[in-house]
Amino acid sequence: MDVVDARAALAPAVSLVCAALVFAAADHTFWRRFFSISAALFKLGIVMSMLPGALKGVVYTFELVEFTPGVALAFRADALGMFFSVVSSTLWLLTTIYAIGYMEREPNRRRFFGFFALCVSTTVGVAFAENLLTMFLFYESLTICTYPLVIHEETPEAMKAGRKYLAYTLTAGAFVLLGSIWTYQLAGTMTLSQPGILSIESGRTTLTALFACLIAGFGVKAAIMPLHGWLPSAMVAPTPVSALLHAVAVVKVGAFGILRTIYNVFGVALLKELGVCDWLAALAAFTILAASVIAIFQDNFKRRLAFSTVSQLSYIVLGAALLTPLAATAAIVHIANQAFAKITMFFVAGAIQRTTGKTTIHELAGIGYRMPYTMGAFTVAALSFIGVPLFAGFVTKWYLSLGALEADAWWYVVIMLASSLLNAAYWLPVIYTAFFKPPPGTNVEVHEARWTLLVPTLACAVYVIFLGSTASVPGMPLSLAQAAVTFVFGM
Amino acid sequence: MITWPPLLALLIAVPMTSAVLTPAIARGSARRAFWWALAVMSVASIIAAMLIIRVSHEGPFSYVVGGWVAPYGIELRFDEFSAAIAIICLLGTLAIIFSKEYVTHAIAEPRIPYYYTLLLLNLMAMIGFTVTGDLFNLFVFMEILSLSGYALVAVSGERIAEMAAFKYLVMGAVSSLLVLFSIGLLYALTGSLNMADVAERLDGAAAAPLAVAFACITLGFMVKSAVFPLHVWLPDAHAIAPSPISAVLSGLVVKVGIIGMLRVYQIAYSSGAVDMTGLNTVLMWLGAISIVMGAFFAVFQDDIKLMLAYSTISNIGYIVMGLGLASTYGVIGASVHVFNHALIKATLFLGAGAIIHQTGKRTLSDLAGVGRAMPFTVAAISIGAISIVGIPPTAGFLCKWYIALGAMQAGRPFFAFALVFGALFIFIYYIRMVNAFYFQKPKDPSILEVHEAPATMLGPTLLLAALCLVMGVFGRLPLSFIEPAVNRLLAPLGGG
Repeated sequence: MDVVDARAALAPAVSLVCAALVFAAADHTFWRRFFSISAALFKLGIVMSMLPGALKGVVYTFELVEFTPGVALAFRADALGMFFSVVSSTLWLLTTIYAIGYMEREPNRRRFFGFFALCVSTTVGVAFAENLLTMFLFYESLTICTYPLVIHEETPEAMKAGRKYLAYTLTAGAFVLLGSIWTYQLAGTMTLSQPGILSIESGRTTLTALFACLIAGFGVKAAIMPLHGWLPSAMVAPTPVSALLHAVAVVKVGAFGILRTIYNVFGVALLKELGVCDWLAALAAFTILAASVIAIFQDNFKRRLAFSTVSQLSYIVLGAALLTPLAATAAIVHIANQAFAKITMFFVAGAIQRTTGKTTIHELAGIGYRMPYTMGAFTVAALSFIGVPLFAGFVTKWYLSLGALEADAWWYVVIMLASSLLNAAYWLPVIYTAFFKPPPGTNVEVHEARWTLLVPTLACAVYVIFLGSTASVPGMPLSLAQAAVTFVFGM
Repeated sequence: MITWPPLLALLIAVPMTSAVLTPAIARGSARRAFWWALAVMSVASIIAAMLIIRVSHEGPFSYVVGGWVAPYGIELRFDEFSAAIAIICLLGTLAIIFSKEYVTHAIAEPRIPYYYTLLLLNLMAMIGFTVTGDLFNLFVFMEILSLSGYALVAVSGERIAEMAAFKYLVMGAVSSLLVLFSIGLLYALTGSLNMADVAERLDGAAAAPLAVAFACITLGFMVKSAVFPLHVWLPDAHAIAPSPISAVLSGLVVKVGIIGMLRVYQIAYSSGAVDMTGLNTVLMWLGAISIVMGAFFAVFQDDIKLMLAYSTISNIGYIVMGLGLASTYGVIGASVHVFNHALIKATLFLGAGAIIHQTGKRTLSDLAGVGRAMPFTVAAISIGAISIVGIPPTAGFLCKWYIALGAMQAGRPFFAFALVFGALFIFIYYIRMVNAFYFQKPKDPSILEVHEAPATMLGPTLLLAALCLVMGVFGRLPLSFIEPAVNRLLAPLGGG
């Protein structure tokens, strides 16, 4: 049931207004904080107010302005979009609190918080985009808005990473644009409100090329190998940005784009007929394993996190590419599961860096004695990634494996198991180093990070347990994911 | 039915007479010359607005000069493509406002009235070129335009100004000859100079001379619009001229070639006597090459105005490609880009002009960090940069979208590919520019102490930047305005 409701447009607009206010507030720290936090709360409130409706199958739509004749700048909060925006607005609030603490003494805070808000605005814009053109608009804007965040420190290394980031993501944007134009030409529409708008009559070769074009475009931000090169380099950004980039905004926008391409542009039935998704699934499976293997050899904390992200994102891609309802559930729900667990880890990495100045894993010996809560949160996230039951990651793995069996592809279950082992192989040593190796020196007093860093970290960790242990409770993300799947598969 | 006053005649007559009167009225005073020029352009803008309202109600209409009915007399014809006078008047007015403070430093006071005379003549000639229905008048206006253009390039007094103007003159003269030669041929073949009449009489004309005529006139217009490889005159001329003139030259004067081509196409398509397929293919390819080569040259520049000048070549490439595609979306996109590119490029040139005026520096390396000192100007330049690369929701995006859609529609996806990825090339040097302005450490700390330009320079720049955004969000208006004209143009081809 479609309902016209301005809230669908208001949700992205809130952060846009917030950005304007932050820029206007100049160097007034209080007002900057006030605007950032209240906008985050306001936005979360708007999104949450739509949640009960979304769970009942109500879709909120709003057309802002007719952009070109026939194609509008329009928003549509369907179940899939709602899922993504709930995750990103929740995490925006937490990351904002964290960033206020983390960035306290950094220069250029006005620019930082302004563009930070813009990023979230565009992310929700992608989530609620009604058509490919609107989606492209926000996809490309996100690239532009994250650039000043990546190069925040303005060191030569940061500038280089920024250039690399732009080279990858702008090329990706060009592919998305080309794909959108092509889709419009073939289908005569660009709406994302249908379970598939293309038909086999356009010709197999054309459709395959178009699929490759769109997947290449979104795949860069979703960091499918070999398109992932920008992500580890972009780690030079301040930690809250890395968290935002790698857990919520940029990479998830890519993964979300792939979901939209598969479910709303092509449609499951057409893709089954084309058979191209087998290739995508194989590529995703390769990425899951290869990125994990690379992660084992990284000593820099944030780089290890980056490769772990590359690996985890491909769960989403794999789940989508399997084209079965259960796998799709896994793909969608993993948007939340990965986001909360990964952001916990980034918060931990940042808290350690800010409190002790340590950035590599071998330096972390005994850190668990000094920062028990922080490392406790880390342990929760690590267990989630390994896929231990009662933690969020298990839900994904369970549904993904079921989905693979549903698709008669048992070998993906093996890959899930192998991935669990690999995750254990690179996260457990960190826990071991932190808790079981003696700390250097005799000073083992508890010295936690300050509360603005600690509270968001713990909140995320607690939520990871919630996501895992109460997944089947109505109103939890899983039920929303199932609502989206019901629509996509026409059940 | 409303009876409209003879606005079309006034649109040309007012600026023409006022232009030559300027020195007499100013009597050596820069201030009087400025206000006079501003008043003239304001009147012209009002007339232009009324004409555009009329054409959107009634469709194309004519004015018969001296009561001599076409094809015997001179006809002024106003159709949707002629609505380009809107941007001519807008940019002309803003360029004059921008000039107020700018030229006082570049030109000696007693000569300033002549500067305004030339500028008004230049603008008047463009208006005349856009609304004439007569081939010979087309040539005359083109010559007035070119001659005033050469002089305006030379006026800046920069070291190589005369050289740049001379290069412009040599290339311009060749192109004028080509156009004149073709008009002569067409006259010999049809015995008429009225465009509509020529189109009707073309049937049965000898094929070879006809082909030569169309090839030469298009070639002539291609030189004027600086399509690669006929662009060599453009970079120096546009970079050396005073910044308001650069904005006019890059935003408007090169478009004269495009409007000329549109007129040629109107004749060719409606007569059906000439097969334009070969020429279209050439235009498509040259368009694609222009996009890439313009970007390629620009990447290696350090002078900001030279970068902007090369970027014009890329954008003319978009337009020429859209025309060559000959599909509805392609031609609509190209026509609207004539308008949008003018807005965007004027934003950039005026912004660059303000920076050069305030700092006295013009290379990227010297200007590093200027964004902290002149935040508004650099913000305007950033909007222009985002717009010219075609990031939504700015003016440049819709044109890119339409032309690429046109390529798909014409069954030539390769050109959509070339367009979209060519734009990436263009992005490289605009990122360099914005990066240098905002994120690089100043080479010379004194740059942080400069101030924003005076209001007469900042105002037009910001207004144009705002328009870049507005035309992006409400881009539907020009697109649907021009659509009937494009449909009429392409109708003989079988619906496009």
